[in-house]
Amino acid sequence: MNHPSQSEPMEKIPTGIEGFDDLTGGGLPRGRTTLLMGGPGCGKTVLSLQILVHAALQNVPGIFVAFEENATRVAANAGTFGWDMPVPEDEKLWFVDARIRADVVKSGDFDLTGLLAGLEAKAATMGAKLIVFDAIDVLLSLLDDPAAEWRELYRLHEWLAQNELTGILTTKVDGDRPATAQRYGFMPFMADCAVLLTQRVTDRVAMRSIRILKYRGSAHVLNEVPFVIGPVGVEVGSANGIDPEPQPFDERVSTGIQRLDEMLGGGLYRGTNALLTGSSGGGKSTLAGAFVEAACRRNERALFVSFDENSRDIVRDLRMVNIDLSPHIASGLLQMEAVRSEAASSEGHCMHLKRLIGAQNPRCVVIDPLSALARVGGGLAARAVAERLIYLCRNAGITVLFTSLLEGSDPHLETTTLHVSTISDSWLQISYALLDGERNRALSIIKSRGSKHSNQLRELLFSDRGVTLADPYTAGGKVLLGTLRLEREKSQ
Amino acid sequence: MNPPIADDGHAPGAYHFRLYLAGGAPNSVRALANLYAICRKYFPESYRIEIVDIWQDPARALADMILVTPTLVRTSPAPELQIIGNLSDEEEVLRALGLPQSENL
Repeated sequence: MNHPSQSEPMEKIPTGIEGFDDLTGGGLPRGRTTLLMGGPGCGKTVLSLQILVHAALQNVPGIFVAFEENATRVAANAGTFGWDMPVPEDEKLWFVDARIRADVVKSGDFDLTGLLAGLEAKAATMGAKLIVFDAIDVLLSLLDDPAAEWRELYRLHEWLAQNELTGILTTKVDGDRPATAQRYGFMPFMADCAVLLTQRVTDRVAMRSIRILKYRGSAHVLNEVPFVIGPVGVEVGSANGIDPEPQPFDERVSTGIQRLDEMLGGGLYRGTNALLTGSSGGGKSTLAGAFVEAACRRNERALFVSFDENSRDIVRDLRMVNIDLSPHIASGLLQMEAVRSEAASSEGHCMHLKRLIGAQNPRCVVIDPLSALARVGGGLAARAVAERLIYLCRNAGITVLFTSLLEGSDPHLETTTLHVSTISDSWLQISYALLDGERNRALSIIKSRGSKHSNQLRELLFSDRGVTLADPYTAGGKVLLGTLRLEREKSQ
Repeated sequence: MNPPIADDGHAPGAYHFRLYLAGGAPNSVRALANLYAICRKYFPESYRIEIVDIWQDPARALADMILVTPTLVRTSPAPELQIIGNLSDEEEVLRALGLPQSENL
């Protein structure tokens, strides 16, 4: 005979953390035990607390049992995140201080009946459905005997099941040893869902990641996925969950440079993205400035994210080419955000940008340069982040211009650090043409999806009257730039 | 079903104990027996034992931060001290109470 629960889909408690619910296919197993493992400072307490607070706000009362920290302090920590907190009078959330006295003396066997009886009564009174045992390893260490630890953990597991409580147990793991080789390595076997939180330092930047080790009776994402603990608590990067289906837009958005729009066949398509590459000092930020200024002139909200460059300097430099962003900043149409690339991991930046976009609700976004994401914490993660940002914007119908520094001398050997040119809809390149003792900026369109575009190299002109492209002049099958072009223009 | 409370009156230097137990659980039964044996043996005239059965009063366990059963609390003389377990290790109990250990006398 089949156990009835085998045919029923597993009920899950959503955690309210989008990426986490994606990983677990909907949240934690209801009425089962979930184990959160991780080294010190990995975010176990915050994650469990956040899940508990979220549940409490959804009218699912919960209890937080703190074995290691002062429960009052844990409750206060919850207040430092921007979470709505349940009203204490509603008794939806209850903290228990269960720290073990340091001077306790042991004599003979004991068990957890005392605590469980107390919690059982409390859970019944407040109708609790969710219970967190934070730092269960601290409690188990009191037993100091593997057989007793196993017995008591089993007692706890059974107790949760009998009381139809969803349990979250957190426990420390030590270093890089596999979770099952740890002192309490038997715990993942007992738990229905086991989650490992890790923190690594790459290029001096700490990166957190989360991985679902097991989820009994449910499909889940196997990969390790980055997460951050930001001002709103734990945010988990979505592992898949990206809808790569772009919303089709026929509308064109001006780049802010009329002649460039003409080269593109009318501008960029709304909701698409354009990659602008070039070497240092080539004028990428200037073109980006022209793009947001045009957006603001159309009365569209815009966001200009600059990595490692002061917003004030950008505004000042743009004024030299007759682009004045200050009235748009003053009116709130334009938000300038300067970010230090080394201040966070690429994942951290992604979450930050996501929040900014959510807050400013822009139609046009500049990320200058996107390659800054790859400066810390490894290219693979950065590329995934870049892709997520691109998809995020595309799904929101936001037109994005992101710049990338080109490294290396041959522009045809696609050397953007992130290799994002494959997912970009348009790719513009600023290059220097060295010819007859002159160094001239030239712009070319390498690709532009879904539209006819010019294949000509055009000279990019910056002056106090603005930014424009020179008319193409060709001679002897060559595109002329600089003095040669001027001479040619005069002679005609 | 509660065992009687042994009373010594209020003699100075009396030992007051509070034993938190889960009524009927083997470890709890053993702890109670061990505690009586120790009290009768070492301070027969001056002890008092209060029993808290956490099944009868579960809220008390949480309020008093009692995590495991059995837990013995010596409330007097000060300082308060806590011993967890079924008290089968008499030496350990005596050491905790600051009494000379019997076998070595």
